[in-house]
Amino acid sequence: MTTYQFFTTAWTWNWIALSLVILSSVSYWLAFGRRGSPLYFAGAIVVFLLALVSPLSALASGYVFSAHMVQHILLVLIVPALLLLSLPRSFSLSSPFTHLTYPFVGWAAGVGAMWLWHAPALCDAAATSRSVSAIQTTSLLLMGSLFWWQVLAPREEQRLSPPAAIIYLFTACTACSVLGIILTFSPVSICPVYQQPVDRLGILSTIRGDWGLTSDRDQQIGGLLMWVPMCAIYAAAILAQMARWHSPTQQERSNA
Amino acid sequence: MNAMTTMAQLRDVVLDPAKRRHYQLAWLSTVDHKRIGVLYMLTGLFFFIVGGIEALFIRLQLAVPNNHLLAADTFNQLFTMHGTTMIFLVAMPLLFGFVNYILPLQIGARDMAFPRLNAFGYWCQPFGGILMHFSILAGGAPAVGWFSYAPLSETPYSSSPGIDYWAIALFVLGLGTISFAVNTIATVISCRAPGMTIRRLPLFTWMNFVNSFLILIALPVLNAGLAMILIDRRLDGHFFLPFRGGSAVLWQHIFWAFGHPEVYIVAVPAFGMIAEMIPVFSRKPIFGYEAVAASTVAIVVLSSLVWGHHMFTVGMGRAMDMFFIITSMLIAIPTGVKVLNWSATMVGGRIRFSVPMLFCIAFLVQFTCAGLTGISHASAALDWQTKNSYFLVAHFHFVFVGAIIFAMLGALPYWFPKMSGRMMSESLGQWTFWLWVIGFNMTFIIQHVLGLYGMPRRIFTYPDIPGWGWMNMVSTIGVFFMGAGSLVMIWNLAQSFFRGKPAGDNPWDGWTLEWATSSPPPHENFLALPPIHSRRPLWDIANPDRPDPVVGDDQVVLPDHNKTGILAFLFSEVGFFGTLILAYLYFYAHPRPGPGPKELDVARTLVFSVCLFASSFTFWRSEVAMHKQRRESMLGWLALTIALGAVFLGGQANEYWKLFYTGVDLSTNMFSTTFFTLTGFHGLHVLIGLITLLLFLWMAWQGDSAYAKYDDAFKCVGYYWHFVDVVWVFVLFTVYLLPLLR
Repeated sequence: MTTYQFFTTAWTWNWIALSLVILSSVSYWLAFGRRGSPLYFAGAIVVFLLALVSPLSALASGYVFSAHMVQHILLVLIVPALLLLSLPRSFSLSSPFTHLTYPFVGWAAGVGAMWLWHAPALCDAAATSRSVSAIQTTSLLLMGSLFWWQVLAPREEQRLSPPAAIIYLFTACTACSVLGIILTFSPVSICPVYQQPVDRLGILSTIRGDWGLTSDRDQQIGGLLMWVPMCAIYAAAILAQMARWHSPTQQERSNA
Repeated sequence: MNAMTTMAQLRDVVLDPAKRRHYQLAWLSTVDHKRIGVLYMLTGLFFFIVGGIEALFIRLQLAVPNNHLLAADTFNQLFTMHGTTMIFLVAMPLLFGFVNYILPLQIGARDMAFPRLNAFGYWCQPFGGILMHFSILAGGAPAVGWFSYAPLSETPYSSSPGIDYWAIALFVLGLGTISFAVNTIATVISCRAPGMTIRRLPLFTWMNFVNSFLILIALPVLNAGLAMILIDRRLDGHFFLPFRGGSAVLWQHIFWAFGHPEVYIVAVPAFGMIAEMIPVFSRKPIFGYEAVAASTVAIVVLSSLVWGHHMFTVGMGRAMDMFFIITSMLIAIPTGVKVLNWSATMVGGRIRFSVPMLFCIAFLVQFTCAGLTGISHASAALDWQTKNSYFLVAHFHFVFVGAIIFAMLGALPYWFPKMSGRMMSESLGQWTFWLWVIGFNMTFIIQHVLGLYGMPRRIFTYPDIPGWGWMNMVSTIGVFFMGAGSLVMIWNLAQSFFRGKPAGDNPWDGWTLEWATSSPPPHENFLALPPIHSRRPLWDIANPDRPDPVVGDDQVVLPDHNKTGILAFLFSEVGFFGTLILAYLYFYAHPRPGPGPKELDVARTLVFSVCLFASSFTFWRSEVAMHKQRRESMLGWLALTIALGAVFLGGQANEYWKLFYTGVDLSTNMFSTTFFTLTGFHGLHVLIGLITLLLFLWMAWQGDSAYAKYDDAFKCVGYYWHFVDVVWVFVLFTVYLLPLLR
């Protein structure tokens, strides 16, 4: 299969994901209508589909470790952040969930989502079994939402103060970078499945040959993705916190 | 009546000439941040002369082809010492001196948060400097470059003790630097004046505050690397010895993971100086305060992601090269933001071309050139061609001299009036400026060309290749201009100190708090603080009809400085242990024949680990008892904590003994080297914790009331003790439990 053929045919029409998308879009519209920010919501849907339906998903399920890493980052960092941003500013959690919004819980969820799913056994299982993969996707979205809640909660008073949020983001960035560094330099495969993929689609020779992705280089790129671009996402969030810190308060605005 | 007598006593102490003379002689025992700042700067100046003379000899040797002024080995020693001296003994103490003097004044503090720690940090500087130079008497200075690449720096290839002195000296200097950073963070967080919120900090203070975090990230990594290389050299370890299973590339990773942030550690304070001077001499507030402040944070975060660009020629693989190319180019953005903001500050301002401003303008020009050649190195393809050529030498001298030294040469006449009460001579300053600008550009612009012509760095002489001779001669002549400029500067300093024009409180019409007190400031810094509602409190006083807009509200939150300090210190320990654990994992993943984790007794270690974890609980009980003033209960729990800690240490000693008994010691293979290093450093931390706890036990034993006032200190020891336990969770998992999962 050539690269062109692959990108035109390898769309995974995942019915569960698609029906979930339709269901959540309808309920979002019914619940919030225009009070929220539908653009962010649409963004979340697009990124979600990119991660689970596009050829990226085909690559991630057992072929290419770095594609799996992109999927992982999209699901844990991008989709939840966009979802939280799409909520109306008046939104708040119902009381049974409030204990999930301690900063430490959020931090542990965000960092745990990275470390936990890269334990070799879990990583392999998620890449081969569809049901484990579904559990993984759900848990990544939930843990990512808990992580971002501290920074992007709809109500201002539920968010960490800017200096605290900067420390929160920076330490999370460091904790994930360490895993990225380990993945990058590890001579052993973290997810052995990706070393000898089962060639369901007949694309393996293209990946190894045309794309030049040997399994070693593939894992290195995966580690680097977690180390560098992910840190760039945290760095961008840190800069946004600086902007929030320095944005004029009510009083300054009324003075001006 | 009582108050009267205390006032009289106070006046006696302050005004009695004999007592005052005593205080003036007491520079050696001072804990005053202003005097320590001056001491830092004098130390830096002294080593600047030393490093400058070294540079002079390097250039004299290279002035003509086939020169034999110096032997090859002497030349190697000179460039190693020149690099190390200029970075660790000149740039850092000079910058820290300015920070020490100015930062507490800018935030309206009486002193640094920990004055005695400040003195400790200072005295590490001359001590480290002397240690490093003592190597010359002890068999030869290090001769392997300032980055001391392994395996050349290992015993089989460099048997003289120069590198041992180099490593120990850098370790000592690193400790001093970390203590300085801890102190700066605690000072800014906990010692600000009423109204001085973080959002109103002067940029010099803000940048040094943020920079201190970068120090705490980077320096511990170097310290871990130095510990490893010393273990290699002194205890026969193999971290960086390829033929014994070690990895020479690992040293490069560790060194540059420190080394690249180090560039910013010395650059960011210089940026801070520029950000203070340009607005004052342009008579305008800084353009885009928020952008300058935020870009500093971006620099700190990004700078720890770019070290790989020093290693493109090592062969890290195309994937890694790509990522490091991108991050290295990214970091140009926040730096560019700064340059843009400084330039925009000057636009439309009424610029006074005093000496500090001249240096600021030169800084902007030279630093932009340095940035452009820097970006060219971010591209791996070009880097392969110019790496280790004089093009690279020219690039980083543009950063270190053109940016950092120029910023300091400008900051000196700017703040000298505050420190001495006298102005520096403007005409001599102009001489310094022009001599430096001409000399600097003469020496280093041509080196770009030399590098592109193919002249490699670190060669002690070269054959008579067309073009090389005259270009090197031009480069050498430039050094004499810079030397002359320095002599004029030193003469200017000396004569201005005694005969300079009296400065008054605020000679430059500055707006930040350091200009609100007398020059030099009194011992307690401020007799009264002006009200602070904006970023330019002195402007608001001088222009009551059109004050700056109020920034945020006036409420200042000042957390306890002890807790801030210990948390900052523990933050640095994370980097130290993180490096050791990653090094352990690296070699664990490349198993070698010989003893391995299977030799360890996991079950027994788990029992001892439970003791250590339990000690965290007993310590907490002891803390609660102390808080409730129940002395017996506190003593009991504390004694139990110490006992549990001692049991853990005993268990570790027993494990070591068993390994030694079966013939496994540090030099056996990579496993034993990394195992003993990691657990040994952890054990050392437990031991230090135990000693501290014993001290508290003794104090509490002594009396009912003596210990109660140390409540805060006790809590800080608690943070340390819990931290050491948490580190053990990670060590236990990595060393003992990970092999079971395989």
